[in-house]
Order: sequence, then C-alpha cells, then structure tokens
Amino acid sequence: MKTLKYIILGLILIVMVFPLLWMFRISLMPSAASLDFGSFLSPAFTLSIYYDIMTSGHMLKYFLNSVIVGAAVTVGNILFCFMVGYALSRYRFIGRNFWFYTVIFVLMIPVHIMIIPLYLLIYKLGLYDTYAALILPFLVNPIGIFLVKQYIDTLPSSMEEAARIDGAGEFRILFRIVMPLCKPALAVLAIQVFLTNWNSFLYPFIFTSSESVRTLPVGLALYQGHQAIDWPHLMAGSSLAVVPVLVIFLLFQRHIISGITAGAIKQ
Amino acid sequence: MKKSQFTGYLFASPWVITFLVFWLFPLLFSLYLGFTDYRLLKPTWNWVGFDNFGALFSDGEFLDSLKNTFIFVVGTIPFTTAIALFFALLLNKNFPGRTLFRSAYFMPSITSMIVIALIFTNLYSRGGYIYLLADMIGLSPPDNGFLLSNKTALYSVMAMDIWMSVGYYMLLFLAGLKSIPEELYEAADVAGAGRIRKFVSITLPLLKPVALFIIVINTIKSFQVFVEIFVMTKGRYGTSTALYFIYDTGLSRFEFGYASAAAYILFLIIAVFSIAQFGLLKQRGMR
Repeated sequence: MKTLKYIILGLILIVMVFPLLWMFRISLMPSAASLDFGSFLSPAFTLSIYYDIMTSGHMLKYFLNSVIVGAAVTVGNILFCFMVGYALSRYRFIGRNFWFYTVIFVLMIPVHIMIIPLYLLIYKLGLYDTYAALILPFLVNPIGIFLVKQYIDTLPSSMEEAARIDGAGEFRILFRIVMPLCKPALAVLAIQVFLTNWNSFLYPFIFTSSESVRTLPVGLALYQGHQAIDWPHLMAGSSLAVVPVLVIFLLFQRHIISGITAGAIKQ
Repeated sequence: MKKSQFTGYLFASPWVITFLVFWLFPLLFSLYLGFTDYRLLKPTWNWVGFDNFGALFSDGEFLDSLKNTFIFVVGTIPFTTAIALFFALLLNKNFPGRTLFRSAYFMPSITSMIVIALIFTNLYSRGGYIYLLADMIGLSPPDNGFLLSNKTALYSVMAMDIWMSVGYYMLLFLAGLKSIPEELYEAADVAGAGRIRKFVSITLPLLKPVALFIIVINTIKSFQVFVEIFVMTKGRYGTSTALYFIYDTGLSRFEFGYASAAAYILFLIIAVFSIAQFGLLKQRGMR
C-alpha cells in the first residue's frame, strides 16, 4: 500500500516537474541542435546560450526592467498598503467605511473590463511606454490593504496611545511603533506582490511598445514573433524568468503558502 | 478631532487616489465607451445607444469566442477541482517526503504563465515530447502538432491550464482538510465506520465550502483566459476566447467602443455566474 502510494506520487511528480526541467535542458543545448526524443538525456551541453543572451540582444535589458519595476512596485505596496491599512483600522475619519467597501468592491471587478479604458487613460496621461505606466497604477493593491488592515485589527493599540501621550507625532507612531509590529504581514505582502508583478504580462504588454521598458514576460512572449523559433535562446530567457521565482519560493515557502491559504479562508 | 480626520485621510490617500483614477474612472468610462462608436484616428465619437451590443450578438466572431470561453470554463473546472482534491488527499497525512511532493506539485502555479505556455508550445509541436508520446501510444496526433489543428488546439490549451493550476487549488483543499476536527474521525472510528464511509460522510461534506470557493474563483479566472491563447495560438484554430476577442478588436484593431461593449457583456456573464454560485453557497447554509 505504501509503495503504491509512493509510485503514484512519483509519477505525478514527473508529470508536474518535467516541463520545467525540459526548459532548463533546452537552454543548455547548443544552438543548432535539433530536438528529439533522446535530447533530454543527450550529452550535448553548453552554457554559451546564457552567455549569448547576457551579452547581446535585449534579454538582459528585459530582465533588468522586470527587476526595476518589481522592486518599485513592491516597495510602494509595503509603504502604501501599510499606511492605508493602518488608517482604515485605527482612524475614525468620515467615510472610513465607504473607503473600506471600495477595497472589497474592487476585488470583485474582473480585470478584463479595465483594459481598454486604462490603456486610453495611460495614453492620455502621457505615460504610455514609460516605467511610470508599469508602476503608478500598481503602487497599492486591495488584497494588500485588506491583509494589513486585518492584521492591525488584531494588535492592541496601547503602545500607540502611550506614545501619543508622550507626545510622539502620528508619522513617528506609524513608522517607528506600528510598522515593526506588522513585519510578518508585510513580509507576506511583499513576497506576494513581487511574485505577482514579476509574472505579470497583460498590463506591461498593453502599456508599452518599445524594447527599452519592456519587462521579461512581455519580451519572451514577443520573442517568438521575430523568426522561426530559436528554442535554446527562448528557453534560456525563460529560465531567467523562472530562477528568481524558484529561489524566492525555496526561501519563503512557508510565507507563500500561508499567504495563499490565509487569504482563502478569510474570504 | 479635526487633526485625526486629516491624518486619517492623509494616510488613506494613496488608496483614495488609486481607486478614483485607476479603478472608478476606467470602470465608468468603459461603460460609457460601450455606447459610442469611438475608435482610433476618429476625431469625434457619437453616442450610438445599444448598437454595439446589437451588432455583437450577430457577430459570428464574438459568438464563437463566447462559445470557446464556455467550453474552456466547463471543460477545465471539473477536472481541475477533482485532481486538486485527489492531490490534497494524497498529501493530507504526514509522511516522509510530503513537503517535497507538495512543493513540486505547486511549483507550476507560481511560474510565469508566459513561460509555461512557451514550454508547452514546444511539447505540443510536431516532434515535441507530448506529440511523440501520443504518437507512441497510437493516438495519431494532428500532422502539424496539437496547436495547429482546429480539432485539438483549444483542448490542448485547456489541458495545460489544468496542469498548471491544480497545485494552487490543492493548497486550498489542504487548508480545508486541516480545518476538519480530528475528533469527528475518532467518533466515526468508535462507531465502526470504514474509510470510504468516513470520506463520504465527513470529509466531502465538510470540504464543500472550500470546493465551492475554489469553483467560484476558478470560474471568474477562466472566463478571462487570454495569455495562454495569445502565446500559443494567437486565437487561431478555433481558440479565440472572449477576452482574446476584446483584446483583438480593442487594442489591435482599435475599435474602443465596440470592444468595451463586448467587455461589459463578458462582465455581466461573469457577474451572473458568480452571483448564482454565491447563491448556491448561501443556500447550503455556508458562508
């Protein structure tokens, strides 16, 4: 019984992992090699394709663009989701409930309906084909606000009140006292935002046209259009997109899984 | 307190601005556009009432894309849900190697959809591994590969989608399984219930809320399938989905008004489905 279970688990494992292994395998093939059934185990092996995409073509540029945009969006979300979540949790300002409902409301809007108006808006604002188009609309996100607000709701406010009596300003309380307490929630938020942004395709695709601001997923998707598909180069570029995700996943597996399941259970 | 009002709004302002500029305005503008004949390089636009909507319902391309979207939704969700549940049941109890299997099964879900679609384009093409495998077991795959045939293209994309997303839903099922109190099984043991009996009478009913949640979010997601279609077939070979149609008319042919109307029709379809499914949730006495 036990053996049977491991056999089933192992077969599934092969099915789930093989495509990614195949990607790495192709990326290590000499450029001209033809791919067939024996390719996976063939001794042909070279790193020259990686050298190629790092030194010529646009792949490295796309990679750096993805890093720049991903970093900016992640920092923005840590800061702004935190500020907004804090305000919605602690301050009793007029319209607070209304703004909280807008966060929930937005979660229910399918993205597809925003594509055309957002494209036109970005165009009219003069942001088309700039980093700003890939960053500004995404600096704060509803799921992140929700996550932070729920987290701060569970924290006692006694420390903030003590600091207020001691004469600390609101910004000081926010960043010096509350923020350190929110580290666990902000870590989950940062990882989720970065991964989502790193893999994001639709908006970077419709908001840009030139290679200078193109992110890696967009560059990969449009790469095949150029000529007959050059699989080793394309798969080496794909590996560039996958490796950071793999590393983050291995390092922060617990955070990622708890983020996914916590969000699901709450809803 | 005046000051607290001001600080509250100050801290909330990033969301207030983002919501107004990048959510509310586009949403309303899109609705308005749907009633106009706005397109690129046209100096003015006119209010055309329900013309776009009328035209869409007699536009074969749009109707085909809706049909394909329905096939996609109905053809993937039962499989994704069932396989995800199967994986979760396999990995529910602790045993050596469990974390490794769980991570491996989940891995495709956090990999870029573009990359997955590119890899499968290779696997499905003539001479690719899936092609050769199908050939070996005598399935006689289409001559030019699975993606270049009207008979198989859409189903091939669907199969990839199931493969990619089961790991994610498996995690949700695992969380659901974890929340079932152990005492229930112990009580069933005392009452002499067998494994199958316990599964049917305890596990399945208590997983229903998670299962319905999974089906709801997967439905919303699947109605908007686009990226894999864009990469793998460019909407050819009978794979154009509703969102591909919206992209193609709106941002490739720049018929903003017409495409916005199509987007709102899809929005309404998704809304109806979600409300029906949520109704189902409530009716069963679950959150």
